[in-house]
Amino acid sequence: MAVFTHGNISIEIDEDGFIEDPSTWNEDVAKALATTEDVFELTPNHWKVIHYLRDYFAKYGIAPMIRQLCKETGFPLKEIYELFPSGPAKGACKVAGLAKPTGCV
Amino acid sequence: MHKVINKSEKAKNAEESFKKKMNRQAILSFGVCVHCGMCTESCHYYLATKDPKMAPAYKADRVRKLYKKYFDWTGRLLPKWVGGDEFNTDDDLTELMDIVYGSCTMCRRCSFNCPMGVDKALLMRTGRAILTEQGIAPQGIIDVSEDQWKIGNQMGISTDDFLETIEWLNDELKTELDDPSAEIPIDKPNCNIIYAVNPREIKYAPMSLLAIAKIFHVANESWTMASKGWDNTNFGLFSGDNKLGAYMGNLVYDSVERLNGNMLVTSECGHGYRATAWESPNWAARDLNFRIYNVLEIITDYVKSGRIKLDKSLNQFKVTYHDPCNLGRSGGITEEPRYLINRSVSDYREMYPNRADNFCCTGGGGAMSMGEYSKRRLETAIVKADQLRATGADIVATACHNCVDGLTDLIKFYKLKMKVSLVGELVADALVYQKMYKVPEIKPEEITQYKVLVIDDEPDVIMYLTALLEDNGYKTISAATNEEALTQLDKEHPDLITLDLIMPGKSGLTFYHTLRTNAQYKGIPVVIVSGVNPENPGQYDSRSFIYQHSLPRPEGYIEKPVNKELLLMTIEKILELKNK
Repeated sequence: MAVFTHGNISIEIDEDGFIEDPSTWNEDVAKALATTEDVFELTPNHWKVIHYLRDYFAKYGIAPMIRQLCKETGFPLKEIYELFPSGPAKGACKVAGLAKPTGCV
Repeated sequence: MHKVINKSEKAKNAEESFKKKMNRQAILSFGVCVHCGMCTESCHYYLATKDPKMAPAYKADRVRKLYKKYFDWTGRLLPKWVGGDEFNTDDDLTELMDIVYGSCTMCRRCSFNCPMGVDKALLMRTGRAILTEQGIAPQGIIDVSEDQWKIGNQMGISTDDFLETIEWLNDELKTELDDPSAEIPIDKPNCNIIYAVNPREIKYAPMSLLAIAKIFHVANESWTMASKGWDNTNFGLFSGDNKLGAYMGNLVYDSVERLNGNMLVTSECGHGYRATAWESPNWAARDLNFRIYNVLEIITDYVKSGRIKLDKSLNQFKVTYHDPCNLGRSGGITEEPRYLINRSVSDYREMYPNRADNFCCTGGGGAMSMGEYSKRRLETAIVKADQLRATGADIVATACHNCVDGLTDLIKFYKLKMKVSLVGELVADALVYQKMYKVPEIKPEEITQYKVLVIDDEPDVIMYLTALLEDNGYKTISAATNEEALTQLDKEHPDLITLDLIMPGKSGLTFYHTLRTNAQYKGIPVVIVSGVNPENPGQYDSRSFIYQHSLPRPEGYIEKPVNKELLLMTIEKILELKNK
């Protein structure tokens, strides 16, 4: 287990850089984690994706399908990748404080 | 004197399981290693760390010690003499897990460099297998295997979610190709290709499936996906669980048989191709009556035969290619991706070493699912990073979803300026295609509505034909007798007539004579829609009647009962020709 420090944020992360304890997430943590994903400013569009991911994860305990993410946020596939260059699984989920997705990702 | 040790239950079971797994292939690999050290320099774990414990022969010995203890003839008497040893505690098993999962991606580069032909990946897999049977594996492997067992795919995607995703992708596909007929067919029987994918394409990264669908569409391929048995990945390969291997293989094979497909094609997924094409038939002990290909083989054939055309100027990038271990080293598919990339990008550059000698992406063997070993994985990835950096490429193309994630991780870690793309995506972007079908853009005032006169003595038939024609954009008028028909002709000036030959009073043939000999009517096309009088089949022999009276032939002839598609097509064609 490692500790990730950025400014005055200090949180525990796993070996893939995902948050260890989802309850330690807050918006400042998201901003800090975003820097590890080459996202240096979180725009309202970023927040829309982040909040949808968090709501879904809180309800179902897993990350949503990319189809649901696009439909519910209204962003086309390409835009999701523009917002989070590492993609929805590793980029967006990490910033939103979800657990690392399972499988070949 | 023997030391008396109480073996743990799991250690005892693991040893028993090991003994049962010894077959000719395994014994050969366990028995012939001469510890020459040729494998050492071939392993990226060793090259990155220079730790002798990372040498493949050393790692393999952690499993081999059981062989030496229980099978080697010297070892059975003097185990320590030949390095034979037992498993005694649960800790011994945890230590084994750290080696067989945490320090080997089963990439088989060492196997290729072994002068004795020892398949060390097979030894590692044997080690994984005996652990899996005791419930010992990295949590990620356990979770994913469970999803494959329970739901039939590695990301636990329900059938509804799968189908809704395909529907959503169909919208994207139609928009992208500007072609409403483009689609990803589902459960279509008797197709040439049954296409299976990596669930990552459904859950997170559907660009690759879109790319392949685009290529299939332009190549006019007959293909389908199955709503059950669409996951070509197989965690049985990684966990050593042959039962899971057989189960996942059977799901896909069943889909081909159920839909009567001609061949099975796997997507750009290295281990999926290897498991599905080469391993699962053995695990499932199943004779298959169809061939299995990787999609890149199929696309290469399209280009070679001229079925699709590529324009490399559409991708102005410096691109190199990373051979996935399971596709290149273990699957022999090394030239097809190069053939395709060379024709899809402006600047292709080779990576060294390459083909069967390439280094692993460092994410193989299920490593992407084992967070506990990510730190070590990324440290050893320096070998791959150096190899990538030396190419000077902007894009590293590969043909495996797992490699995409493995490479993306290490590119970020080592701060390389490089993107990762699948080969199919580059090909799709270089595709030259003409729009096969385009909805004509007609302004409302330009729509012409043709008027059809339906002549038939049966009200039911009139009702049926007029409804059918109106549903398809025609205006209709009708007549039940010849007299009525003449009135309508004078009043309405129809563009086309459908004529029943069996009519009361003057027969339809006499009326046809009237139509064709009257200067005012003879330009109007006629489609005869008629049956045969069951009481007098020869009564309306239109052919000899027309011949005897030297009349022009009718433009169309449809027999009752009416085939509506045929009728609509006939009318459409006639009017198209008339107005040309």
